[in-house]
Amino acid sequence: MASVPHEVAIPRTYGVSARTQRTFLRIATGVILLVLWEVLVRWLAPPFVARPVTVARALPHVLANHLPPGTPTFWGAAEATVVASAEGLAIGIVGGVLVGLTMGRLRTADRLLRFYISTFFAMPIIALVPVMTLWFGYSSTVRLYIVALGAFLPICLNVYDGTRSLPASFVEVAQSYRARWWNVWFGIALPASLPYLLAGFKLAVGRVLVGAVVAEYIVNLKGLGSYIVFDSRTFHQPEMMVAVLFLALLGVSVNAAADLATRRFLPWYRRSE
Amino acid sequence: MSAIQVNEPKPRMIVPHSVRGGAISLVGLVIGAGIWEIVGRHTQAASFAPFSQTVSALWLMTRSGELPTALESSLELFGAGLGFAMLFGFFGGLFLARIRLLRIGLEPYILMLYATPMFALIPFILSLFGFEFRAKVIVVTLFGVWPILINTLEGARSVSNDLLEVAKSYRSTEPKLWRHVIIPYTLPYTMTGVRQAIARSLIGMLASEYLLAATGLGNLILTYTNRFDTARVLAAVLVITLLATILMAIGRAIENYFARWKAGV
Amino acid sequence: MSTNGAAGRIQIDGVAKQFGDLRVFQDIDLAIGEREIVSIVGPSGCGKTTLLRCIDGLVQPSEGEIRIDGAKVTEPPRGVAVVFQHFGLFPWKTVYENVAYGLRLAGAPKDQIAESVARHIELVGLKGFDKAYPYQLSGGMQQRTGLARALATDPHVLLMDEPFASIDAQTREILQFELLRIWESRPMSMVFVTHSIEEAVLMGDRVVVLRGRPSSIHEVIETGLPRPRTRDVLSSPRFNEVREQVWSLLMHEAEQAERELQEVR
Repeated sequence: MASVPHEVAIPRTYGVSARTQRTFLRIATGVILLVLWEVLVRWLAPPFVARPVTVARALPHVLANHLPPGTPTFWGAAEATVVASAEGLAIGIVGGVLVGLTMGRLRTADRLLRFYISTFFAMPIIALVPVMTLWFGYSSTVRLYIVALGAFLPICLNVYDGTRSLPASFVEVAQSYRARWWNVWFGIALPASLPYLLAGFKLAVGRVLVGAVVAEYIVNLKGLGSYIVFDSRTFHQPEMMVAVLFLALLGVSVNAAADLATRRFLPWYRRSE
Repeated sequence: MSAIQVNEPKPRMIVPHSVRGGAISLVGLVIGAGIWEIVGRHTQAASFAPFSQTVSALWLMTRSGELPTALESSLELFGAGLGFAMLFGFFGGLFLARIRLLRIGLEPYILMLYATPMFALIPFILSLFGFEFRAKVIVVTLFGVWPILINTLEGARSVSNDLLEVAKSYRSTEPKLWRHVIIPYTLPYTMTGVRQAIARSLIGMLASEYLLAATGLGNLILTYTNRFDTARVLAAVLVITLLATILMAIGRAIENYFARWKAGV
Repeated sequence: MSTNGAAGRIQIDGVAKQFGDLRVFQDIDLAIGEREIVSIVGPSGCGKTTLLRCIDGLVQPSEGEIRIDGAKVTEPPRGVAVVFQHFGLFPWKTVYENVAYGLRLAGAPKDQIAESVARHIELVGLKGFDKAYPYQLSGGMQQRTGLARALATDPHVLLMDEPFASIDAQTREILQFELLRIWESRPMSMVFVTHSIEEAVLMGDRVVVLRGRPSSIHEVIETGLPRPRTRDVLSSPRFNEVREQVWSLLMHEAEQAERELQEVR
C-alpha cells in the first residue's frame, strides 16, 4: 500500500514471476558491484589490496586451513569468536530479561538502576576494553565481559520497555484469576515483551560481534579480530577478506534467523497495530 | 476507554511522589559512587582507581589541556563522520526510495553492510586511504550511515498514497511535493536513524582511534593503559560516557522535535 | 473444586469507594442470592465498573465490606470469574491457551484442563478455533473466548463488566441470548454491569439503578420476566414497562446533570 508512486517502474516482462525478476536483479547488481570493486582496486590501489578475484582464489585454502605455518587458522579463529559471542549472548539474555523485568515491574529497582543501564547503553562499550586488560589481564575474560555487557544492555532496556508498555488490563485479568507475582512476571509480562526482546537481541548481535572483534584485536586473543589484523599487517588481504565476509554472513544470518523466529513463534505479533 | 481509567483519576499529590522517586534515584547514584570508591580502595592501585582518584585525575588532565585537546580532536572526527553519514544516508535513502530498480538490487547488500561489524573493514580502508584523518572519517561514516539510510528509505516509502493524492489534486509540482509532503513525512524516520547512528559513530570513532593513527580520547585510553595509570584511563572513559549521554539526549530531543506532529510523542 | 450446588451469595454492606478527593459511590447495600442475575445500570462515571471490581477484590472498597458465601473479599476469590469489556485475551496465547489460563493458574491436572477447555470452547460455539490467535477473531468471537475462559473455572459467581459494549449491535444480541441459554443449562449468580437499559432488563432478575454524585443505589426494580428468556421477551408488555421505568429514572438524572452544567456556565 505504501510506495512512492512516481518512481521509475521496471518494465513488465510477462511470463516471468516478480520473484524471479527480483532475484535476477539482485544477482545482477551483486555482479556489477563485484566488477566495480575489481576494476577500481586494480586501477587505483596498490597490488596487495584485496579484489574479488584474489579473494576467490584465497577462499579454498583459507577454508581448508591450508595457511603458512605460524599464521592463525581461519576456522580456529572463527570458532573462538562465535563461541565467545554465543556465551556473551546467553549471559546477556538471561541477565537482561531478569533485570529488565525487575525494572519494569518494580519502581524502586527502576529508579535505582535506570541511570546506570541507560548510561552504559549509550556509551561505546569498547572504551572499556583497554581498562579491562588492567583488571583482568590479557585474557579471554576481557572478551567475555565485553560481549556479555554488549548483549545485556540492549536486551535489558528492551525488555524493560516491553514490560513498561504492558497494558494494565492484562495484569488485571491475571489478578482476577488469582495470579501471583511470578505468574504476572513470567506468565504475562515476559511473553508480552517477547517482540521487544527479539528487537533487543538483534541489536545485541551487532554489538556483541563488534565487541568480540575489538577485544580480540586489543587483547590479542585467538579470534577473528586478531586474525584480520594479523593478515592485514602481513599483507594477506585476500585471506583477511574471507574473515570479513564470514562476519558479514554471520551478522546477516543471525538477523534473518531472528526474523524467522518472530514469524514462526510470535505469529500474534503484528507490526501494524 | 476502560472503566477503570474513567474512575481512577490521577493521584492529586504528584509532587511528593516524584520527590520520593528522585530521592531513590539519587540514592542509587550515591550507592554506585560508593561501591566504585570502596572497590577502588581495596584493590591494587595498578588495577583499579577509586571514584575520588578518577575525579582528581579528570581535573588534572583538564588543567593540563591534555583532555580538552583530545576531546576536540575526537569531536572533530565524530562530527565530520556523522555529518557525512547524515548527508549520504538522507539523500541516499530518498534516492533509493525513488528508484525502484536500484533499491531492489541494492537492498540485500545494504542490509549486509548494516549487519557487518564495520571494525573488520578498517584494515581494508587503511590500505586504500591511509592512517590519517580522512581514513578515520570514512570509518566513522561507514559505522553511522546505514541506520540513517535504511530509516530514511523506509520513511519515504511509507508516505501514504492518500496524502500524495491530496497533493496532486491541489496541482502540486514535483519539487513542492517533496518539500511539503515527502520530506517532512520522512524526517522523523531519518532522525530515528540519526539517533542510532550517534551510538554507532561513537564506536567507529573509538575503533578508528584504536586501530588507525592514535589520536583523541582513544589515544588517551591506550596511552594510559600502557602506563598502568587506571585513574586517567577511567577519567577518559568517564568523559566518553558523559559525551555519549549528552549526544544521545540531543539525538532524542531532535528526534522528538521532528516527530512532534505524530500522535503520542 | 466443583461448585455444583455451591451457593454464590453476595452480600454488600455499606460499601463506598473514594479515589483521592473523588468519592465515586457510597452507601451501597445489596444482597445477591443464589443463581440470581442482578443488572447494574447508571450513567457513565457512576462507578458501576469499580463496584464490580470491588466484588472481585481487584479493588478494595474504602468503606464497608463485601462477603461472598460469608467470606470477606480481600483478593479475587476462588469460584468467581470476570468477563471484561476489553475481553482481556492475551494476544500471544491461542484460543485454547486463553481458555485454559484460569485452570492452569489454579493448578488443575492436565487431563482435566484438556477436557474442560474443549467442552467450554464447544459450549460457546468456537469449536475448530482452538489454535486461532485473538487477532484472527472478530470481536464477538473474542468475547466468546473470554466467556469460555471464565466458565472453564467452573465459577458460582460470574461478574460481567459491560461484556458486550464493544461488540456490534447484531452480534451483541446473539451473544446475549446465548449467554442466557448457557445460564439456563448451568445457573449461577451473576452481576451484570451495563450501560444498555435493554440489556439490563433482558438479563436481570433485578435491575439496580445507580444515581447521583457520588452515586448510590437509587432504585432496585424487580423485572418479573419469566425464564427461560427468549426473543419473545423483547416484545412483551412487561419488558417495555420496565425499560421505560429505568429509562425515565436515568433520563431524569441526565437532564438534571445537564441543567447543573448550564448553571455553572
